[in-house]
Amino acid sequence: MGLVKPKRSSLGRATRLARLGAGLTGSYLAYQLQRPFLNDGEKEERRQALGRKNARQIREDLQDLRGPIMKVGQALSMQTHLFDADVVQELAGLQMQAPPMHGSLMRAQFKGALGKYPEEVFASFEPEPFAAASLGQVHRAVTKRGEEVAVKIQYPAIREAIETDFRMLRTAGFAARLAGHLKESVIREAERGIIEETDYRIEARNLRHFATQLAPLPFVRVPKVHDDLSCERVLTMSRARGVRLQEFLQANPPQELRDRIGTGLTRLFFFQLFRVQALHADPHPGNYLLDQDGTIGLVDFGCVKYLKPEIVRCYAQFWSREWTNDSALFAEIIHVIFGPEVSPTEPRVRRCMAEIRSFYDEFHPLDGPSRALDLADSKFMDGLNALAKTLLKNKFLAPDFLFLSRTESGMCNLLHTLQARVATTQIAREWMPPIRKTGG
Amino acid sequence: MSVLIFMKQPANEKKGKAASKGKRNLNKERTKEKILAAALELFREHGLEGTTTKQISRKAGIAEGTLFNYFKTKEDLALFFFQKETNDLIRWYGQSARLHDAPLPEKLFAIIHRQLEYIAPYEEFIGAVFFRSLQPRSKLSPLSLESQELRLKYLRFVSDILAQAEEKKEIPPIGELGAYAVGLFYMGIVTHWLHDPSEGKQKTLALLDRSLNLATNVLKKGGWDW
Ligand SMILES: Nc1ncnc2c1ncn2[C@@H]1O[C@H](COP(=O)(O)OP(=O)(O)OP(=O)(O)O)[C@@H](O)[C@H]1O
Repeated sequence: MGLVKPKRSSLGRATRLARLGAGLTGSYLAYQLQRPFLNDGEKEERRQALGRKNARQIREDLQDLRGPIMKVGQALSMQTHLFDADVVQELAGLQMQAPPMHGSLMRAQFKGALGKYPEEVFASFEPEPFAAASLGQVHRAVTKRGEEVAVKIQYPAIREAIETDFRMLRTAGFAARLAGHLKESVIREAERGIIEETDYRIEARNLRHFATQLAPLPFVRVPKVHDDLSCERVLTMSRARGVRLQEFLQANPPQELRDRIGTGLTRLFFFQLFRVQALHADPHPGNYLLDQDGTIGLVDFGCVKYLKPEIVRCYAQFWSREWTNDSALFAEIIHVIFGPEVSPTEPRVRRCMAEIRSFYDEFHPLDGPSRALDLADSKFMDGLNALAKTLLKNKFLAPDFLFLSRTESGMCNLLHTLQARVATTQIAREWMPPIRKTGG
Repeated sequence: MSVLIFMKQPANEKKGKAASKGKRNLNKERTKEKILAAALELFREHGLEGTTTKQISRKAGIAEGTLFNYFKTKEDLALFFFQKETNDLIRWYGQSARLHDAPLPEKLFAIIHRQLEYIAPYEEFIGAVFFRSLQPRSKLSPLSLESQELRLKYLRFVSDILAQAEEKKEIPPIGELGAYAVGLFYMGIVTHWLHDPSEGKQKTLALLDRSLNLATNVLKKGGWDW
C-alpha cells in the first residue's frame, strides 16, 4: 500500500494558493505538533500510526508538496516518534513564526481585543515589538500605575486560519492519503491542542498556577498577569528582567555565576518535574531570562505539560535505579512506558534499559561523594546524544517519555552552553517522589 | 467613501459648487450635520427603511418641510455621510505624520481601517446603503452623477499616495489604474467586513493585511506567477 505521488497539475495550484493565503498556519501546526499535546491513552494507536517503512516516503511525499501542508505532515510524522533519529533531528528545527504586524495593524488588533488603543490604557507603549512570539509579537509598556509590563499581541484571526487549514487538510484528500498512517483522532487532538494555545487566557491561567507552585523557589520569577489588560488575544504581564542566554554569555559571566544559574535551572527543572508534576514549555533558551543576580525569569506558559504521577515515578527510576535489582518494579516500569502488551524480556527493551543504566551510572553515580557535573564537558553531551539516538532507534519511548527526555536534553544543552557545573544527581534526588507506590 | 468609487473618470472635472464658504453655507452645513446625526441614530434603532422623514425632522428639531431643502432623499443623506467620511479620512491622513514614511501596505491598511472604524457604528445603515447602491438608478451608484465629485476626491487622494510609492520605487508605475483598484479592493473589504462574524472583525483585519502585502509583493515582482 504505497503512497500516491502528488500530481503537480492538480495539487500544484491548490498548494500555491494555500501558501499565499494561509501560509502561516502550516507553521503553527508544525510548531505545536512538536509539543507534547497528545493525550495519553492512545499510546498503541499512535505507535502504529506510522509504519516505519513508509516514514521516509511520507516525508519525501510531503516535501514534494511544499507549503503549509507539508509542514503539517512533517510535524505529525515527527510526533509519532517512529522515524529515524536523523529525520527527527531534521524536523525538530521547525519553529513557528507569525507574520509581523506593523504599527497600524497591531493597534487595530489591540483595540479589537480590548476596546481601546494601547496608548489609551497604558502610560507608555512602545510601538516597535521587542520580541517575536509564535502567534504574534511582544511589546514593552508601562501601566498607568507605573509597572513595567510585556504585552503579547496575537496576529488577527489565527484561530480561524488554523481551523481553515485543518478543514483543508481534511478535505483536500490529504487525510485520505495519510489515512493509513494518521488517525483522525490524532489530527483532532492536534487541532485541539493548537486551538487551545491561541487562547491567551489559558496561558494566563498557567502563569497563575506556576506562580503559586514555584513560590518555594525564590530564585525563580514568574510574570504576574494583568487581568484587566488581558483577554484571549492580548496578554499583559509583568516584564521579567534579565536577558536571554546568548546575551547573558556575551557579558562573560564569572564561573561562579554560571554555576549558580545552572544550579537554579536544574533545580527548577526537577522541582517542576517531581513536585509540580508539570513542565513549562520547552527548554528553549528564549524562555529563560537570566539576571546578574543569579535569578531566572520564566516566560512562555502557552503550552504546559501536566504529567501523570506514574510517568513521573517511572522517570525518577532513571535516577534512582531501584529497578536494577527489583524485577517487579522493572516490570511495572516497562508496563507504564510501553503498555501492557510489551514483555519486559524483549531484547530491545533489555538493550535500552541497559543503556540507560550505563549512562546514568557513568554520569550520575549512585554511590561515592556527590560531585558537580561539568556540563561544559562534551563527553557528557555526546553520551546523552548517543543515548537519545538509541532510544529513538529502538522506538523505545512512549510520547510522554519522548517529551521528558527531549526536555531533559534541552535542559542539558542549555547548561552545556552556559558551561555550568551542577550537582545534578543530588538535586534530582532532593525532590524525587516516593519510589514504591503502586496504584497511586 | 464607500461605494462610490470606481467608474470612469470624466475628461473635465467640475469645479466644486460649494467653493465660496460664506456664513450662510456654514450654517447650512451645521444643519445638515444635525440632520445626519439624528438620522443615523434613528437608522440604528429602526433601520434605514423603518425610519420616516417625520421622525428625522422631529429629532433634528426642524420642520419636516425644511428637511427637503437639505436632503431630497435618504440617498442624499447617505451621500452626505460619505462626503463627511471622506473629508475626515483625508484630514486624518494629513495629520498622521507617522504614516507618511510608512511602507505602502501599511499606509493603505491604515487608510482602509480608518474608514472601517468610521462606518463601524453604523453597520446596518452601511449594509442597507451598500445594497441600494447596486441599483443603477441610485444616487449612490458608482454610475451616478451625484456621487462623482466625491468619487474623484477619493481617487485623487489614493492616486497621490500611490504616486509617492511609485516615486520611492516601492511599486512599479501602475498609473491611474491603481487608485481604481484600491477602490474596488475597498469595496470587497467592506463586503467581507459586513459579513464577518469573527470577534472584533479580526478576519477582516487579517485579510486586509495579508492581501495588501500580497498585492504589493506581486506588483513588485511585476506579475502574478501561477
Ligand atoms: N513577561 C515577559 N517579560 C519579558 N520578556 C518577555 C515576557 N514574555 C515574553 N517575553 C519575550 O518575548 C518572547 C516571546 O514570548 P513567548 O515565548 O511568551 O511567546 P510564544 O508565543 O510562546 O513564543 P515561543 O513559544 O516561540 O517562545 C520571549 O522569548 C521573551 O523574550
